[in-house]
Amino acid sequence: MSEVIGELLGVGHQYDEGPEIFKGVSFCIEKGSFRFITGLSGSGKSSLLKILYLGLKPKWGSVKLFGKDTFQIKPTLLPLLRQKIGVVFQEFNLLDHLTVIDNVSLPLRVRGIDIKQSYKHAGELLEWVGLGDCLKAYPPSLSGGQKQRAAIARAVITRPQLLLADEPTGNVDDEMATKLLCLFEELNKTGTAVLITTHNQRILKKFPYPQLALKEGTVFQLPIEKKAS
Amino acid sequence: MNKDQDLPLRNDIAARFVPKIIILMVYLGTLCSTFTFFMIHSTLLWEEKLTTHLSMEIPFFSDASSKDLQTRVTDLLQKTPGINKVEVVPKAEMQTLFHSLLGEGTNVDTFSLPAIVDVSLNKGDAFDVDNLETQLKAISPLIQLIDHRLWQSQVSNLLFTSTSLALLLTFLILCSTLVTTFFATRTSLLIHRKIVEVLSLIGATPSYIAKQFQRNTFKQGLFASSIGAFLAFLTFLGIYFLLENVGQTFIVKTSFFFEVLAIFILVPFITSFFMMLSARRAVMKALCS
Ligand SMILES: Nc1ncnc2c1ncn2[C@@H]1O[C@H](COP(=O)(O)OP(=O)(O)O)[C@@H](O)[C@H]1O
Ligand SMILES: [Mg+2]
Repeated sequence: MSEVIGELLGVGHQYDEGPEIFKGVSFCIEKGSFRFITGLSGSGKSSLLKILYLGLKPKWGSVKLFGKDTFQIKPTLLPLLRQKIGVVFQEFNLLDHLTVIDNVSLPLRVRGIDIKQSYKHAGELLEWVGLGDCLKAYPPSLSGGQKQRAAIARAVITRPQLLLADEPTGNVDDEMATKLLCLFEELNKTGTAVLITTHNQRILKKFPYPQLALKEGTVFQLPIEKKAS
Repeated sequence: MNKDQDLPLRNDIAARFVPKIIILMVYLGTLCSTFTFFMIHSTLLWEEKLTTHLSMEIPFFSDASSKDLQTRVTDLLQKTPGINKVEVVPKAEMQTLFHSLLGEGTNVDTFSLPAIVDVSLNKGDAFDVDNLETQLKAISPLIQLIDHRLWQSQVSNLLFTSTSLALLLTFLILCSTLVTTFFATRTSLLIHRKIVEVLSLIGATPSYIAKQFQRNTFKQGLFASSIGAFLAFLTFLGIYFLLENVGQTFIVKTSFFFEVLAIFILVPFITSFFMMLSARRAVMKALCS
């Protein structure tokens, strides 16, 4: 059995006065695994990722990441856990006052890598996702698809141990979606555990990885889809 | 490109009002600390003068015995150990003194002015004033010995109190500056909470985020407090020349001016350094709890 890097145990959550969106969700994330999270809109896919990247503290249950109970550890250690995780936010969360290359190189700078090296790295990655012409552009001037690719570049630039991507192909055409999924696969081959939320059936068919389906506050393991021809 | 600004702090609301407050605070603080410094300086100078000076008042008699009395006193003083210098205050100086007190028109010659003898003691030596007084009384019981040291302690107390008050005021002004900085930083954090949250989520430590604020606060603080200190310097010069013009010169050594200049140069750096620490404290407190 491979090493477990993330574990949710009996997680339950409810936003303020809203309904219970999770009722005892439990699953593990193994090192180097690749999984999709599926579910209808509003089923809680984004919230589940939010719990995993420590952006939301669930009301019940426990969340373990890299062997640490996230409710118990000292707050000063949280950034160290977050540094092992790359996140593609559904709404991108690019910083509008920074250029694309500054946005993408930010995770490296935050980890203390010098600016020249960060730029070199970010430049190469942006070239690869087809944003080589937009290095100095500001996010508000980009299209949805371009923002998405910039957000993905920012999430993978640190080669995180865990990549959480919230509908990363929601704003790009199928060709680009496939290309981006290939990027995730490549990252996965180097040992990164990948967790992607999506409801794009074509993608699910094309990339037959295990799925976790969210429905009525609980998760189900779905059988692997047949690869599309 | 953006090298050290992951947060757009330069043009937020806090960036607009904080410098103005800092200019005012530093202006007042610098003037106050200059005043404190002036008080300390004068106190030391006066204390030195008061502890090393005695005066003698020899009454005036219309006959020749006055001159004789004066000679006997100066002779005695010159023989007394521990005395550094004996000086009879010239008549002209006495007249100016009386003119300044009673008006130019006063005919001083109609008064029987006593002769004043100024005595400087050797610094640091213990001097037996009682013994000297007995000897003086033996010459003439009418001779008055004025020991400035008697009221020195009162003057000292007064000076000490005003110096402490000025120092306290300077300290309070510095504190208000730091409190202002603290709350301005919190406001800034609130304005940019979305960006701060994204930075945290991609792994920025509170310390990294705090550094962004620190750098900005330091730059802003240095700029604003330089202006404040400069304005205070102009005010200081203004006051100085004004007093010179009305004939009230500062009773200070020339070294005082270099030291004051040092204050005006150092204040911006010291202020902005503490402001930086205050900004750091605000961010760390907000992000680590
Ligand atoms: N910040 C929030 N405050 C209150 N309710 C929220 C918040 N975020 C999400 N929700 C609610 O939680 C449910 C799950 O949302 P979400 O996790 O975004 O689902 P999905 O990503 O699957 O569309 C929805 O009903 C949504 O309205
Ligand atoms: Mg969602």
